[in-house]
Amino acid sequence: MESLSFSLHSNLHSLTLLQHSNQNKKRRKITHQNSLALTPWTSHTQHRLYSSNLLLALRRNSNPTASLQVRAAADRVLAATAKGRTRWSRAILANPFGRWRKQRQRHHKKVKNCSANKCMKKTTPDIRRRLPAVQKKARVLGKLIPGCRKVSFPKLLEEAGDYISALEMQVRAMKALADLLPTGAPPPDPIGLS
Amino acid sequence: MSSRRSRSSQSDVSTEITDAQITDIISKLQQLIPELDARRSDKVSASKVLQETCNYIKSLHREVDDLSDRLSQLLATTDSNSAQAAIIRSLLL
Repeated sequence: MESLSFSLHSNLHSLTLLQHSNQNKKRRKITHQNSLALTPWTSHTQHRLYSSNLLLALRRNSNPTASLQVRAAADRVLAATAKGRTRWSRAILANPFGRWRKQRQRHHKKVKNCSANKCMKKTTPDIRRRLPAVQKKARVLGKLIPGCRKVSFPKLLEEAGDYISALEMQVRAMKALADLLPTGAPPPDPIGLS
Repeated sequence: MSSRRSRSSQSDVSTEITDAQITDIISKLQQLIPELDARRSDKVSASKVLQETCNYIKSLHREVDDLSDRLSQLLATTDSNSAQAAIIRSLLL
């Protein structure tokens, strides 16, 4: 138990340093051939790490009742748990409100659709010629994943795989937290800690 | 920021990848989507995989929205309960 808490404390410390580093906008240039193996989103360690960090972030929040603040905190902690090793996590850490603010500003960024289209054409001319439906859907997918509007098609697919796994863990952790809060006597094993 | 992304995008553009590699990535992605994973034995087009991927991400986003609303309401009612907070912390940390 002591070793476990020490490990978690060490992880928290490294996460804090990472967040501070990201606030200074210093970026590590990391190239991975298989980003799908970067973070084991299904492991209990990542689940507990995310849950504890999310709870700390919510407690620190001056106005925790604002739903937008909760969403923003949930996404920032998720990106921090990913340690900025993927495009989507770096994009969230660089933008305080992540996709939430981007949604508000969507009407201001219509011009970028053209450049995204050009980028896709340049990147995958064969796919564009043979599979126009794929290109159109890839563009939609690029808008859903933070920071992936202008990336190449294979990179987009890799980011999508990691982002989906991260979102699934986020949903599991937030459900567990919500189940904990209202009851006076929490269930013995709400998030599979034992 | 946009200039950095442009440079990063340029480096991505220079990367060559074969159709076989794209097919491999799409098959991995297919296993992550519940809608597609159920019929893994069937052949599914790349367009279908992308469509279901978009739908699945949107549904996950909606779940996070709902859970954020729920958590913000619960925190409002339990924020003053320090004993409750202590129990939660002991379970999480």
